[in-house]
Amino acid sequence: MSLLLDARGITKRFGGLTAVSAVDFQIERGSIVGLIGPNGAGKTTFFNMITGLYTPTEGQMIFDGEVVNGSKPSDVTKLGIGRTFQNIRLFANLSALENVLIGMHCRLHTTLLGTLLRTPSMRREEAAAKERALELLDYVGLGRQYANVTAKNLPYGDQRRLEVARALATQPKLLLLDEPTAGMNPNETALLTALIRRVRDELGLTVLLIEHDMKVVMGISERVTVLDRGVKIAEGTPHEVQTNPAVVEAYLGTGHAAKGKGGGPLIINDPNAQQASPPSA
Amino acid sequence: MPKSLKVGIWTFIGSFLFLMFYGFQSVLVAAIGALLIAIFGVLLALPLPDVVKSGLLTGIIGLVFVIAYAVERPAIALLGAMITGVSAALMASYRQHKTDLRAGAIQGALAGAVGGALTAIALFLVWLYIVPAAGVTNIAYAKLLSETIPLGASLGSDVAIIGWLSALTLLISMLLGALMGMARTVEGVRGNLLSYAILGLVVLLIPILDRQTELQLLNAFIPVFVFILLALGLNIVVGYAGLLDLGYAAFFAIGAYTTGMLSSPLHDTHWNFWLVIWIAAAVAACAGVILGAPTLPLRGDYLAIVTLGFGEIVPILFRNLGGGGPNGSLTLKLFGGQLGTADIAGFTVMDQVNLTGGVAGINPIDPPKLPGIVFGPQNQVPWFYLLVAIMMLTLFLINRLRGSRQGRAWTALREDELAADAMGINTVRTKLLAFAMGATFSGFAGAFYGAYVSAIFPTSFDFSVSIIVLCMVILGGLGNMAGVIVGGLLIMGADRLILPQTSNLIRKVVQHQQNTLDLPTYRDITQWRLLLFGMVLVLMMLVRPEGLLPNARRRAELHPDEDTAEQENATLFDAERDPQLAGH
Amino acid sequence: MATRSVSQSGDPVEVHQRPWLTTRRVIIIVSTIVFLALFGIPLLNVGYKMVETPSLFLQQVVTGLTKGTYLAIIALGYTLVYGIIELINFAHGEVYMMGAFFSLSLIGLFGLSGESSALALTFGLVGIMICTMTFTAVLNASIERFAYRPLRNAPRLAPLISAIGVSFMLQNVGILWGDHNLWDNLADWTGIDRLTRIGDAMGSNMVAPKSFPSLLPNRQVPFIPDSWFTFTWKSLLVVVVSLSLLGALYAFVRFTKLGKAMRATAQDRDASRLMGINVDLTISLTFLIGGALGGAAGMLVGLYTGTAVFNMGFTAGLLAFTAAVLGGIGNILGSALGGLLIGLLLALSDQYLGSRWSNAVIFAILVLILVFRPTGLLGEEGGQKA
Repeated sequence: MSLLLDARGITKRFGGLTAVSAVDFQIERGSIVGLIGPNGAGKTTFFNMITGLYTPTEGQMIFDGEVVNGSKPSDVTKLGIGRTFQNIRLFANLSALENVLIGMHCRLHTTLLGTLLRTPSMRREEAAAKERALELLDYVGLGRQYANVTAKNLPYGDQRRLEVARALATQPKLLLLDEPTAGMNPNETALLTALIRRVRDELGLTVLLIEHDMKVVMGISERVTVLDRGVKIAEGTPHEVQTNPAVVEAYLGTGHAAKGKGGGPLIINDPNAQQASPPSA
Repeated sequence: MPKSLKVGIWTFIGSFLFLMFYGFQSVLVAAIGALLIAIFGVLLALPLPDVVKSGLLTGIIGLVFVIAYAVERPAIALLGAMITGVSAALMASYRQHKTDLRAGAIQGALAGAVGGALTAIALFLVWLYIVPAAGVTNIAYAKLLSETIPLGASLGSDVAIIGWLSALTLLISMLLGALMGMARTVEGVRGNLLSYAILGLVVLLIPILDRQTELQLLNAFIPVFVFILLALGLNIVVGYAGLLDLGYAAFFAIGAYTTGMLSSPLHDTHWNFWLVIWIAAAVAACAGVILGAPTLPLRGDYLAIVTLGFGEIVPILFRNLGGGGPNGSLTLKLFGGQLGTADIAGFTVMDQVNLTGGVAGINPIDPPKLPGIVFGPQNQVPWFYLLVAIMMLTLFLINRLRGSRQGRAWTALREDELAADAMGINTVRTKLLAFAMGATFSGFAGAFYGAYVSAIFPTSFDFSVSIIVLCMVILGGLGNMAGVIVGGLLIMGADRLILPQTSNLIRKVVQHQQNTLDLPTYRDITQWRLLLFGMVLVLMMLVRPEGLLPNARRRAELHPDEDTAEQENATLFDAERDPQLAGH
Repeated sequence: MATRSVSQSGDPVEVHQRPWLTTRRVIIIVSTIVFLALFGIPLLNVGYKMVETPSLFLQQVVTGLTKGTYLAIIALGYTLVYGIIELINFAHGEVYMMGAFFSLSLIGLFGLSGESSALALTFGLVGIMICTMTFTAVLNASIERFAYRPLRNAPRLAPLISAIGVSFMLQNVGILWGDHNLWDNLADWTGIDRLTRIGDAMGSNMVAPKSFPSLLPNRQVPFIPDSWFTFTWKSLLVVVVSLSLLGALYAFVRFTKLGKAMRATAQDRDASRLMGINVDLTISLTFLIGGALGGAAGMLVGLYTGTAVFNMGFTAGLLAFTAAVLGGIGNILGSALGGLLIGLLLALSDQYLGSRWSNAVIFAILVLILVFRPTGLLGEEGGQKA
């Protein structure tokens, strides 16, 4: 399998603060990869560097054979990276359908002249786009009957789903999910987890997710990368990561790691873990 | 305290103080006036049925029109009735949407009837009180009535004519209201088209009415429409894309000056207007892109300030590129022009190029030419129809833009720039397109305006123009074309039609009463227009920030409830965390 | 812009850095060339003129710095308000105008003129300045109370538009204020004859510029020789009063408890509220101070230039705002510095480019700063908060 994303020696400094330091990170095509780490580990910063919101201070971000560091977010999206946001950023006052249609923006080709003249090709494209948007709403389990509901009036879980639909509308090769299940109840979480899997299996997308719910990450990811204070401290299958002492140390502190040395794996499935670590930045 | 009472008391206090200050030095007269106004305030604040309320609200337009004009031109009541009827029905259907054709017709007719009744009452008030107060004799007024009212001559007595006129007023208002009400029940695009058709009918009838009843109002209506055209363009930038542009007059100026420079004796070029109007629009669009480009990284009030700066620079350029004194003025001259003349400075000799006519402006500008039709200062009708055609085109094009791929990108940008960027919308291109499209329509307006007034000066395009246009957009409702048109009609109608005429009327009454020519300048109501504009802006922001006829979405945005406020905080938090993102 | 480099296997190998010549740089370079082509020679010419007669240049520098001191105190009004509620207080220029009108009215009312005794002038002017500052302070704070405070949680556009509205209203008040008929009628009506003196001070035309009597001594100060440059007592007074106001403000914000509350509120309103700071009061205080400074500036300018006109606030406001942005909005010393610089540029541009270009020059500077260095010269935090 070839690499879809290849981050080489990525470093990001804000003034004197090094948020991410010399991280190498690879994602293979068609995989589901988890990115975890304690609060302030630099996960979201790393995310933002992939999507072009930040430019890495050093290193190269190579997506599908192209260097994308320094590209504008819209160009990155056009290359095939779709994303959701940690705190939902839907176009709150627009309808669900419009949200998805906006996601399609970069895949539509109608020019200004086409719009003004309302050419047949423009009409065809619009109709097709609308149909596809409705299909996407169905696909993520929102249902097309909600197409005209204003986004902010949707229930929380549906908003998350709508965000996924909007990201899928950009026709990504790589889907980035920033804490997709944050604040969801177990039922909603299960549905979303299933959706992520379906997206990979049926649509053949590659998925990278940041997640605090260890059950979700460990259950769904094929590989997990752990960041702590901007440094990559572990990488591997969920099981390897769970038993890695460095990870235990990062999550529970030095003393615990010393005690737990040679002991059992990190108990990450503890339901309280979610509360103990509120969404990081 | 009930809201209506509160409103009543405040309106009473406000209008009493105003009237006292304005010079109704008799406390009693001021109190009566204030009471009348306060009754209106209370009525509007009372929880009346929507139909009645819409009728009352829009009826004020007819009322004010009639009071201001009917002493000289009684037939104004018919025009007032047309406007009132249509807008009453529009407002009623906006407040309470009906789907049944018959219910819609009844609703529209009722709202129109309330508005028409108000207009008719005003007619009687004028006839009974204001006409004698202004010193017009009964005989003279009766003669005026019989000459200007349709069928007036055959009715004879003035009571009969007034009665006939008010009946006609009521009828027209009801009829148009019913028509509009029916049109609003039709869903979707066809409903919109029908509404526009009715509006178009009214607009097309105006010149005929004007001619038949000697209203002579076209020359006042045309600037109103030009400003509405501007407001429609600005609505793209501010309403759709959410970019506050305080220098919009710059593009208006560019359109007008392009026309002026290409078809006037100034450079002895006399290009055809029908070509020039497109060039003007194109030049304005380019200017939109050029002036928009530096503002791209800016947001919110910084954007406002920079556009304001451009809005000031452009007229200054037009003023200064028109030659002038040789001392101490810098003139545009490619590579300095004649180099190495007499003295060591070498460059002190700089020819003055007269590109733009300077302070004196450009005068005259060629009118459009069409076989068989004379566009001239005396003949307003072709101008009017030309402008209506331009407006139709504008409405048509903007309507297409709105629901399109480009329109969606603007909305996304307004809602959340960062998310829009992440969704693959090229923010640079989208913003520039908004500026360019906004400027294009402004260019049309400028070209028409230049040819119409035939004399343009740098001072015609100052900051107040930008602000008035912005007022129109905000008053009517950001992002809603119908709202913008209504806002434009109200503000420019007040500015160009009502205020001057009211001032005229007051002067007449005062002169008749005191038999002197001495009217203190501060009692000239036109001197109060800035205050009124300012008040409208502030009150709108405090009371109804979404405008009179808001776009449903903008309404939601401007009345943030807990959810959105939280979300906004979250966004702020995100952006402030990282300086790069904030400056992105 | 991404550079594409794909190896046969599809894996990226050799990759390039972003090209130096980005679109942005191209645009900047092209516009610089165009600018130089159009204005390069005239600017050289200006430079030559400056060197040709150094005394004239020096004179302009001095005049500019004098103007700069009062621009600085107007700029402070913007910077304080922006610092605390992030609003461009459009009405501030008009508050300054009201200061000029109010002080002119009081001067007329008290009958101060060039012939009054020095003692009467001194006490009169100090008294008038205090009254004016009180008036504009209260005016500014009431504007905040009624037009901005209800909109504090509204979207950012709302208070800005409200501010524009207030500015228009005040301009109109300025027009009406300048009508002598109004004062005559008020005198008739109230029976206070003195009010007609205000009408007299306003002159016959309501919108025409009003002229101040020349109350400040227009003689050369003794310690600077005539041959260097002209520097009158009048200018000296303007500079001294402005600088002391500036100093007082700086000390207030820096060293008093209320000043600390202001700085805290500017940093984080909610946190300050939690710390027991009365945020509403602090914001009101900021507007009071800003208004007082604006009023003082209005009076100073009136006395210095001898005129006041109802729309003086618009241009002065924009100049001062530019100054605030130039120095770094939210930063007191920065705004002061910005004021001085703008005053200097204004004087030089008046002399060498012609006054009709001055506004364009200032606006161009404003645009350039905002585009290239939105934090201003001394700005620390992000100049614009999204």
